[in-house]
Amino acid sequence: MRHLLCLCAALLSAPAAAQTVDDDLAALDARITRLEDLNQIERVQRAYGYFVDKGQWTLLADLFTEDATLEIGGKGLFVGRHRVLEYMQTAFGPDGPDYGVIANHMQFQTIPDVSPDGETGWLRGRAFVMSIGGWGLPLYENEFEKGEDGKWRISRLSGPFTMYTNWQGWGVNALNNTWPDKFEPAPDYPPTTVYLTYPAYWVIPFHYPNPVTGEVLTPGSQPAGAYYRPPGTAEQTAVEAMGHLADGSQPIAGPGGE
Amino acid sequence: MSRFVSSALAIAAILTPACAIAQTAPAPTAQQRVAAYRERVERLEDQVEIENLTAMYGYYFDKGLWSEASSLFARTGRFEYGLRGIYITPARIERAMLLFGPEGLAPGILNNHMMLQSVVIVADDGLTATGRWQGMVMLGAPGTNGIWGVGIYENTYVNEGGVWKISSLHFYPAGFTDYDKGWMQSQIPMEGPSALFPPDLPPSEVYRALPGVYTPQFSYPHPVTGARMDNIPQPPDDVVGRP
Repeated sequence: MRHLLCLCAALLSAPAAAQTVDDDLAALDARITRLEDLNQIERVQRAYGYFVDKGQWTLLADLFTEDATLEIGGKGLFVGRHRVLEYMQTAFGPDGPDYGVIANHMQFQTIPDVSPDGETGWLRGRAFVMSIGGWGLPLYENEFEKGEDGKWRISRLSGPFTMYTNWQGWGVNALNNTWPDKFEPAPDYPPTTVYLTYPAYWVIPFHYPNPVTGEVLTPGSQPAGAYYRPPGTAEQTAVEAMGHLADGSQPIAGPGGE
Repeated sequence: MSRFVSSALAIAAILTPACAIAQTAPAPTAQQRVAAYRERVERLEDQVEIENLTAMYGYYFDKGLWSEASSLFARTGRFEYGLRGIYITPARIERAMLLFGPEGLAPGILNNHMMLQSVVIVADDGLTATGRWQGMVMLGAPGTNGIWGVGIYENTYVNEGGVWKISSLHFYPAGFTDYDKGWMQSQIPMEGPSALFPPDLPPSEVYRALPGVYTPQFSYPHPVTGARMDNIPQPPDDVVGRP
């Protein structure tokens, strides 16, 4: 960022053509805006975590776009902000923390990115769950949209699980992934991907290429184990365009950066 | 980010009469644009400084480097940990930190206070800031079992003569538990004000750690709606007298 300031100073003193100065300033504005956008995307993700900790479901749902999708663990896909709210309040109770319960979803290791046009964002991150029931490791590959009001919102939350265990620890008691009818409410669509949690192993696709080689890493693709409609039908094809994670066809894959 | 946009708009609005270059849209001059961009970059730099300052505090505090940790507070800085009360000024904060162990700690003591998930908001004028952090805690002492803890920091910061300092650090433990037993079987209460070295002021907020559930109010507005979040309802408590 200090480089930006130096650039500003140079522009002030240089007798460059007005058009060049305008272009340079516009480029500078875009770079500063990108840093602000990355910053704000991280804030939204962290705010999400604080709301989960204290069961602030209405405030949490307000972080999402109207047509957002949400998929956590193996529970299936929920479509729309109102369904995000319904999911949380049905599964975990009304707004506010429950007496005697701790459900911390501590957010860290975030990797935010913004599309070149500045309108779409992505974030890979993780939560370390420290809860009354034990320990858990969700991972996030989320997508964000910048609204016309300039606010960043979550447009897709994909939170696959790596491992869950009770207080005995994962060496003794590793829990199964969740599934659509494990608890209410039922999802709008089946899971976009069927995978197993620890001790099984699944690499969650990355929204970004390797930062050094520039290569896109494509983890092994696997067929989905559940269908909303018979394979090959228009309805099933439409569903496959929503919230997918597991193979090259998912909409998540567009890398950020320039 | 909306702050930056609104301040840029405000600058543009102020400059409108002076900009007669175009009849359609009065554009700020190059100098005015640079000045606005400098402000935005400075606020980003301020945030980096504050995030680093807080992380540095954490590394000092972990190791019982009380003189280093307390030196990061402003002249009238405040330190409040759970229900221990408020200590004011770096000198008194340094002495209060001895309640957590001797300077430099000692063999067998673990005092880790990991800090993550920061939401730092710098005021438009770049003179003050707020920060919320998640605090994961691992404690150990000779002859005792390990303890897990977790809580929230809500801090304020001030820029004194070009240097960011902590103007108040408030750690709200959510709970502590025995390493082997876990939250269902072990809920260790917070310590109250010390009789050995009483605080300058009583605790600013009185509440119970787990099984109680208390939500430290948010210093920042909702990132999307902009609504205030310093009015989250708290659970009732007959002893504290909260309806």
